Amino acid sequence: MTQVLAARAGRITPEMEMVAGQENLEAGIIRDGVAAGRIVIPKNTQRREIRCCGIGQGLRIKVNALIGTSSDRDQIHVEAKKLAIAQAAGCDAVMDLSTGGDIDGMRRQTLAGADLPVGGVPIYQCAIEAIQKRGGIVAMTAEDMFLAVEKQAAEGVDFMAIHCALNFEVIKRLQATGRVTDVVSRGGAFLTGWMLHNQKENPLYEQFDRLLAILKAYDVTLSLGDAIRPGSTADSLDGAQLQGLIIAGELVARARAAGVQVMVEGPGHVPMHHVRATMLLQKRLCQEAPYFILGTLATDVAPGYDHITSAIGGALAGAAGADFLCYVTPAEHLGLPTEQDVKDGVVAARIAAHAADLARGNKQARERDLQMARARVALDRERQISLSIDPEKAKEAKGSGDSSHVCAVCGPDCAARVAARYFGIA
Amino acid sequence: MTQLERARAGEITPEMKQVAAGEGVSAEFVRAGVAAGTIVIPRNVQRRNCVPAGIGAGLRTKVSASVGLYGNDAQVDTEIQKIKAAVGAGTDAIMDLSVSGDIDAMRRETLATTSTPVGTLPLYQAIAGAAEKHGSPLKMTVEDLFAVIERQAADGVDFLALHSGTTMNVVERARREGRVDPLVSYGGSHLIGWMIHNQRENPLYEHYDRVLEIARRYDVTVSLADGMRPGCLADSLDGAQVEELVILGELVRRAREAGVQVMVKGPGHIPLNQIEATIALQKSLCKGAPYFVFGPVVTDIAAGYDHISAAIGGALAAWAGAEFICYVTAAEHLGHPNVGQVREGVIAARIAAHAADLAKGLPEAEQWDRRLSQARKELDWEKQIALAIDPERAGQLRKERSGESSAACAMCGQYCAMKVVAGYLGGSKQSC
Repeated sequence: MTQVLAARAGRITPEMEMVAGQENLEAGIIRDGVAAGRIVIPKNTQRREIRCCGIGQGLRIKVNALIGTSSDRDQIHVEAKKLAIAQAAGCDAVMDLSTGGDIDGMRRQTLAGADLPVGGVPIYQCAIEAIQKRGGIVAMTAEDMFLAVEKQAAEGVDFMAIHCALNFEVIKRLQATGRVTDVVSRGGAFLTGWMLHNQKENPLYEQFDRLLAILKAYDVTLSLGDAIRPGSTADSLDGAQLQGLIIAGELVARARAAGVQVMVEGPGHVPMHHVRATMLLQKRLCQEAPYFILGTLATDVAPGYDHITSAIGGALAGAAGADFLCYVTPAEHLGLPTEQDVKDGVVAARIAAHAADLARGNKQARERDLQMARARVALDRERQISLSIDPEKAKEAKGSGDSSHVCAVCGPDCAARVAARYFGIA
Repeated sequence: MTQLERARAGEITPEMKQVAAGEGVSAEFVRAGVAAGTIVIPRNVQRRNCVPAGIGAGLRTKVSASVGLYGNDAQVDTEIQKIKAAVGAGTDAIMDLSVSGDIDAMRRETLATTSTPVGTLPLYQAIAGAAEKHGSPLKMTVEDLFAVIERQAADGVDFLALHSGTTMNVVERARREGRVDPLVSYGGSHLIGWMIHNQRENPLYEHYDRVLEIARRYDVTVSLADGMRPGCLADSLDGAQVEELVILGELVRRAREAGVQVMVKGPGHIPLNQIEATIALQKSLCKGAPYFVFGPVVTDIAAGYDHISAAIGGALAAWAGAEFICYVTAAEHLGHPNVGQVREGVIAARIAAHAADLAKGLPEAEQWDRRLSQARKELDWEKQIALAIDPERAGQLRKERSGESSAACAMCGQYCAMKVVAGYLGGSKQSC
């Protein structure tokens, strides 16, 4: 039984209990959220015990890290290190996006090494294998696609990005309106190419019920991949993106009816003034399904700093209702991230998520900031370090050892100390 | 005559023309903004080698970087290196916030090094001077303070940060309300200590006309600093901050009446959901005077990453109407920034400023994004890197993360999305 079916039957599962404990909420609230589809708890029935996370309305915003090999860089031991770093940096989930080398080995390594929910994108492996076995991506068969999903589900992948909300209506809309950067989603591009070459509808859309049956059997959470996400701020909220979102909304309803947990993936490059509207549209069209967003990147012009452009967009999106932030690293648009990039990406996304939690009035978030402010006033360096988002980094810094309110200039008669006494904090 | 007085008289000054040319707006637009007080052009009449910059409504969001001597180990040379790094990274202004050492030498070197507008905070030097001259900062006299203001103005400083709104009433309110962190601003804390110890009103408030007289003479732009900026999220928009802002609004009016250009300094630490209201309050109370905001950082816990926290807040604040962003470096709350952190701080602030300009619909900002995305679609790496906000870093990362031989990038390798669909969607046959 999936979490959503259990919740609808009024049951509180151990996973819901765990989430409730983490969030300091009643388990009944979690159950009701899961039953209504506003909360998902990605956890494959075949997966070993992990630190579950709840994603959705009323909960702390979660952060996802991406790892994985590519055709140019396929050393899986490096990816194992990235996984460890991402977990240590505090991500809540991780996706393996491998497209190079031993993709099966890589996935098994990630499932074994991660104590968190693990996501996959089965179409990647399917496409790469089609090139190897059949001579090209366009030679993939529908059968290949469902087999890839089934294989990853059976191995315990907790959530899957699957680009079901792409059909000819979307492609026609895209061709009619034109874009600066057409299709920037890799999975979306594979399927668009396949559809146009074969002149066949997307099997993942056409045989959606078949897909749902597999996901339901393993309680895999469906993450509706956004094939048509904007890859430049100029393309944000265009007709093609909205067409895709409308279809995603229909598929959310069908997934729910089938008892499958579902969330929706989204943007991408979004100028700040589009963020609220984007979130509102998604929540409305997708009946409040959790929103899993990449970034959003607030500008196109900062390669090398896209963890920062994404922190800007992610914070704004989170405050406007996004529930799950996919990190973006400084290597975005330039290459495959290094271990340091992974860490920087996770921390930047966590800052954005936390800033949004504060704006949304999350009590645990507010309490932590207040404790930090008090530790600063009390000049308690140890406590400041332990409350920092990255204690290791805070510890490295020198010069934070001010032990009194006396500044470096005045000496014992420091005017700031007089003020501190006046306010009763010296 | 100041830029403000000349604008009111209908004159378009060379500075207004230069600003207009750099912004793609008409000189008349700039003149009207200066006359209304919604634009300032900080440019001391004594200043040499300064490229004037306009700050205010309808113009590109500007960024300021702060450097300065602090403590015994600080050296002018090191700080000058930081200025050069900040200017290289594209800062629009420099503030020299030296509190110790040879403050005069540092200021003069700063003025000689950069062609951007330069700002200072004279109270710092007055405190350091009193500690030296009288043996105690608490013995600073009003004359000491004004002598420093006059000296810095005469040296050619373009804008002066002055805590004129931190009155005894405001200080008492902060105590009554039980602010979590009442001592945030270095200048504000010292000023409050001086006021409490001497049981005297803030001289920058009491003798504000005298401040204005000096500012007018040199056409120094007054930057009304806030002693009550929130130093943690919990203190944001409390009574003390808002009361000080009300007073700053009155001081804006008096500055304008005196023909003095004026802007207002602000936050600090602000939760995301209070940023818009903070800016709206300032705009209303200060009658559209340009808003110069520090950060704001959007959480208290991001020590080591406050340039990112500030980029979030700065982008939102600038979108909501703040026109001038003071950078925050990764060293904030931990120590003093090194050259690398200064550089990174400027870029982070510029990203925030640009994201805001884009959201505000500035045509040049939109074109910049579009040009880079077109280069991305065409896989034109040379052009992508040239158009990047920091070409040096983009080029370096590309080299390290992908290797120069790759036509796409190592993220997707052979399976670049753009390459896959290009053949089917027509147009360019290239990839990513």
